[in-house]
Amino acid sequence: MNELMIMLFAPLVAGFIAWALDVRGIREAVGVLGTLVPLGVLAKYYSTIAGSNPEVVTQTITVGGFKLIFQLNTISWYFATIASLIGVAMAFGMVSTSRSSYEWLFALMSYTGVLGVFLSGDFVGFFLFWELMTFASFMMVLKRSRHESLKYFVLSVIGAYAMLIAIGILYAKIGALDFGTIRQALYMDAMLGSISKSLTALVFLLFLTAFGVKAGAVPLHVWAPGAYSEVDQSYTAFFSGALSKAGAYGFLLLYILMGAKLVAALGIWHNHMVFSYIIAWLGAITVVVAGFLAVLQEDIRKLFAYSSVSQVGYILLGLGIGTPLGFTGALFHVLSHAVFKGLFWLVVAALVLRTGKTRFEDFGGLAEKMPITFAMSLIAVLSLAGIPPMAGFASKWLIYEAAISAHMPLVAGAIFLGSALAFAYVVRFLYAVWFGQRPSDLEDVKEAPLPLLIGMAILAIPNIVFGVAPGLVTEYLGKFLGNPVGGNYYKLVTPTGTYNALLVAVLLVFGLAIAGLIFIYGAKTRRIPVTNTYQSGNPVTEDYNLSMRRNFYRPLAEALDFWLKYSWDRFYERLAGIAEDFADFLREGFYNGNVQSYAWYLAVVLLILALWGVL
Amino acid sequence: MFDWKLALEAIGMVIYATFMGFIFMGIERKAMARIQRRIGPPIYQPIIDTLKLLGKKESVSHGLIYDFGPVFALGASITALLFIPIANFQLFSSNADLIVVAYLLEVPMLGIMLGAMSSGNPYSALGVQRGLLTMVAMQLPYGLALIALIQHWGTFKLSNIVALQQVHGWSITVPALLLAFIVFDIVFQALLGLEPFDIVSAPAEISMGPMVEYGGKHAALLFTQHAVQLFAETAFFAVLFLGGASNLLELLVKQIAVLFIAIFVASIYPRFTIDQAAKFFWKWPTIIGIIAVLLTM
Repeated sequence: MNELMIMLFAPLVAGFIAWALDVRGIREAVGVLGTLVPLGVLAKYYSTIAGSNPEVVTQTITVGGFKLIFQLNTISWYFATIASLIGVAMAFGMVSTSRSSYEWLFALMSYTGVLGVFLSGDFVGFFLFWELMTFASFMMVLKRSRHESLKYFVLSVIGAYAMLIAIGILYAKIGALDFGTIRQALYMDAMLGSISKSLTALVFLLFLTAFGVKAGAVPLHVWAPGAYSEVDQSYTAFFSGALSKAGAYGFLLLYILMGAKLVAALGIWHNHMVFSYIIAWLGAITVVVAGFLAVLQEDIRKLFAYSSVSQVGYILLGLGIGTPLGFTGALFHVLSHAVFKGLFWLVVAALVLRTGKTRFEDFGGLAEKMPITFAMSLIAVLSLAGIPPMAGFASKWLIYEAAISAHMPLVAGAIFLGSALAFAYVVRFLYAVWFGQRPSDLEDVKEAPLPLLIGMAILAIPNIVFGVAPGLVTEYLGKFLGNPVGGNYYKLVTPTGTYNALLVAVLLVFGLAIAGLIFIYGAKTRRIPVTNTYQSGNPVTEDYNLSMRRNFYRPLAEALDFWLKYSWDRFYERLAGIAEDFADFLREGFYNGNVQSYAWYLAVVLLILALWGVL
Repeated sequence: MFDWKLALEAIGMVIYATFMGFIFMGIERKAMARIQRRIGPPIYQPIIDTLKLLGKKESVSHGLIYDFGPVFALGASITALLFIPIANFQLFSSNADLIVVAYLLEVPMLGIMLGAMSSGNPYSALGVQRGLLTMVAMQLPYGLALIALIQHWGTFKLSNIVALQQVHGWSITVPALLLAFIVFDIVFQALLGLEPFDIVSAPAEISMGPMVEYGGKHAALLFTQHAVQLFAETAFFAVLFLGGASNLLELLVKQIAVLFIAIFVASIYPRFTIDQAAKFFWKWPTIIGIIAVLLTM
């Protein structure tokens, strides 16, 4: 048995064992082991993949007449390792938060699906595992909310059909399904031009829909807030951290397989490849729209769901820039988004587990009750807000550099706006959950359980390590992108800019030391309670509400009221309503229960068939 | 191996920047007073104030994060300062470019907000909200102004931007960058927290917002932070648009010029409300910014 197969199916098998045995303790142990196996196998292959003479590990199996190719190359190793890292953290989180063998089964099944998507070397395996992943995550959502799962289901089905049609067209034109042949054929065709422009554009549009749904690009993002909220939050770490990356991987695949053909067919506009420019703008719009929506949310899960959508927009934007630097930034952001957003979701899982609440208005003052979880969320906040020297900054910095040097100023402007929005919503999270007055029913909240804390630590460490040493990632990515970023482990050097993460860290410590000295040698401090604050001379007791938890960003909503009147979500709901009404009308019109009219239908159909010459 | 000269320069620059920052704060108060036909405090008043605050026997605290906030803010301001090429002192500017510095200049705000939020005071919370919304509002034109600048000079490195300006003339002599300069100057009012964008502290409305709870050494730290930040931001402005400087005196003249523009604007205009500010920033400065980036493309 090949190790790739072990790695691919270990989570699935573990999931089934956990589901079948369903004994507390064993279930969790098997689950965690199942997620650790892929990480172990990937670690073993590191030297083969990233060594001095990298080689591609390939494995072919035959299932029902189809030959499935799986391969581990530099790109798939990168994506699979990120997914596995989040997978392990998810498993530790689920040990604490999940009591259901159903959830273990489908969580681990989607893990196998994601790995399969990354490892597939042909469209058969790619599509099968893509559907496995979608199915498993759909089942996770279904358990909590039927409405949200339906929304997710409908959009996923649209995406799946789009992908199937696109694959079908490619198969009809090329006659092969494995990536290598397709890639070669399309490169040849870029010169020959035997596949027409409109057909290429159609295939592009279909893939854009398929991958856009999974990545949550606006306007196909509507499933994400509901689906991310209505599952076990430990699983959301994986859902948003790894599953959405499958969409990003799909876009990357689009470049690898169809890049040359798309440039040839769609042309170049003002030095930008048109297809890539579309992706960049899709990303930019996603960043801004989802960012604004995230700022205005009142539910902690919705906030991070929209934030996930917004951050995946950065990845699309980076890919859309289409230069090696842009790819480096985007792929780095795949890693940093996975680790900081995974961390955020585990923090949310801990909060939901310990308090049972999800709305901001019910939280407050938890920093003293859950200090370690608070510290973890602070790391995640610093990373997401892009504070140097965290991983989130390094990747955003690369995307900035890439966008501006590729002369996409308006797209780069969108990132500036998106970063400010990110800053705004994470601070809102910090304020509402951790600081201020504590509601009386949160007095006996305890620190998060140990397994969940382990899961958080697994994700917190990469945030700092890859933040201080971003060169580790860019050097690895440089292997297949032709080293657009120079420097060493600590210092990134692009042709026009430079960022020394270690030096920023050292100087930050230096600055903190100076400020700390002033603080330490200053007067002694006396601790006072939250009620002892300046209130224009009014004495305050605990009965007063001192916190602003609801509608925190009301003025922004007022400034945006014109735009907030429009919503994609409501648009789709209305479309669904119209479709339903129309179907009702058809049903009532045709299936009226009158036998005579049924006889007429039969006669008409027969007549049509006869005229057509079938009968 | 350890570069003693650089270390000494850095420490010297921190001391100089702190001192000059306090003087800038003094100038700000004095000039504002003169415009309003008051006499105003002496220019060194902020230094006396800070020393007084440091000399307090006891200061109150709302917990660890409340203490950490001002410390972090000052630390981050010092970090940002050390990455800006200040006159003939390059300091560490070869290690970080414009984007990094622009980000580092925003980090102190997170520190102030962390501390303010942990105090639990509703005025602080309101200040935090207003601060972040101002930031959201101003970020788009701010980004566009920076992008225009980078596109025109073709580099992200601050030291290269200075060198190029010394050869080709100041940024503001280029028509497209003059537009970027106008945008940047409007945003600059918000960066410094001056009218018409002093929405964050708004003394008459929310009692200094984030700073309301702070007293004693915490307030002293925040004063010092403000001084360093003021120096760093004016220097950043001078480096980007006014051709940098070859010595500290030249830089000082430019910094004070920048400061005076800010003071004059601040003393004429009343305060915007936050949604007015957002709508304003997303209209004219953004349009001018877009024109600037398209012209430099």
